[in-house]
Amino acid sequence: MAQLPKPSALRPGLVPGVLSILTLVLIWTLASQLTDRPQTLPAPWHVAARIGRLAATGELWFNAGMTLFRVAASFALAMAAGVALGLWMGRSRAVDHWLNPATIILLNVPALVVIVLCYIWIGLNETAAILAVALNKIPVVTVMVREGTRALRPDLGDMARAFRMPPLRRLRHVVLPQLAPHLASAARAGISLIWKIVLVVEFLGRSNGVGFKIHLLFSSFDVTGVLAWALAFVAVMLAIDLFLLRPWERRANRWRQDAA
Amino acid sequence: MRLELEAKSFGPRQVLGPLALLVARGERVAILGPSGIGKSTLLRILAGLDADFRGRLKGADRLAPVFQEPVLLPWRDAVANITIPTGCDAATARDWLAQVGLAGHEAKFPRQLSLGQQRRLALARAFAAGPDILLMDEPFASLDADTAARMLALTAALLTRSGAGLVLVTHDPAEAAALDARVLHLAGQPAQLQKD
Repeated sequence: MAQLPKPSALRPGLVPGVLSILTLVLIWTLASQLTDRPQTLPAPWHVAARIGRLAATGELWFNAGMTLFRVAASFALAMAAGVALGLWMGRSRAVDHWLNPATIILLNVPALVVIVLCYIWIGLNETAAILAVALNKIPVVTVMVREGTRALRPDLGDMARAFRMPPLRRLRHVVLPQLAPHLASAARAGISLIWKIVLVVEFLGRSNGVGFKIHLLFSSFDVTGVLAWALAFVAVMLAIDLFLLRPWERRANRWRQDAA
Repeated sequence: MRLELEAKSFGPRQVLGPLALLVARGERVAILGPSGIGKSTLLRILAGLDADFRGRLKGADRLAPVFQEPVLLPWRDAVANITIPTGCDAATARDWLAQVGLAGHEAKFPRQLSLGQQRRLALARAFAAGPDILLMDEPFASLDADTAARMLALTAALLTRSGAGLVLVTHDPAEAAALDARVLHLAGQPAQLQKD
């Protein structure tokens, strides 16, 4: 195996990235000092203090954990169903003609409608919550994987067939490596969309999670609390992107950079 | 391997006419003809890649293709490029790599190899499948004369050593002669096989 990706891969863009975040915090600080109603826009340190308190009581970890569980479950469901459907539609014109209208309809149904209908039809439970989020994401993954499948190299498919490679080995070694860039972008675009929808699902019909907490704080117009929960969870999702998805994407694309 | 082809058409245009081809293990056949006559189509039918024809293809022989281009898995090293398609073990793959002169290149990815080396890797892959009959589609085209001559000599030696048969599709009679293959011409409209 080749050596691990160089640690310097994170470096380019690090300094401007940190500076741009600092600038945002600075603008926020100025704005919070200029407004005369601290309830509307609390200063960053008030929000930070609230995050600290939530973390200390353990409330943050439990609710963020519940939200993260729902994100993970619906993400897995959406990726699995989307990849299967996308491969099927990309391979067969007939299947594509049959399923494409449903895909387009599902792509254009507002997330809120899907969520409300799932809660009414299935009930106010975890299954409905996770299914509602997944249904919002499946058509997006399907379309991206379908495009990737159409771009599969026919010569490699011929080679696999001529050598009589068994279907699973063909999928793993010939098809999936070609789809990897599409899967990586579907995953990264998906995860940010999914966690936003999960919050709505929790807001509407769950009794824990970040979205539920924001619901409570909304009824008391507690902006400090809303910002504390939101920022804490953004940090979690950023960490997942940086330390899980990006390294995986780099690994999946490693063979491209291995020039002589 | 026995092919009794009645007709092969692309849309309304019939490309290949009635023809019969019988190839046994150890037998070498070269199919010659100008480009566009349907040589590659015939080879795709023999390889089982094109089942959309009228006629019968029989035979339980193990076949292994060598395409015009190397057609390797870019995301796998040389050894895995042999073991994954053929299902042979790594030791066998290394052995075949050595036989085509690629010893020392086992861990390289295809793009780290020259085109000539990639073609030799494709040849090693085909032999590692333990074929009764090798199917080769213009494998020496687009190589410079020296490399092509070396590839030809290597292919002939490996064919003799392994006892595998050969169906070679080419436009160059010299390749057929160098591989000591029985020559069939593909000619006509729709194309049919004719003896030399």
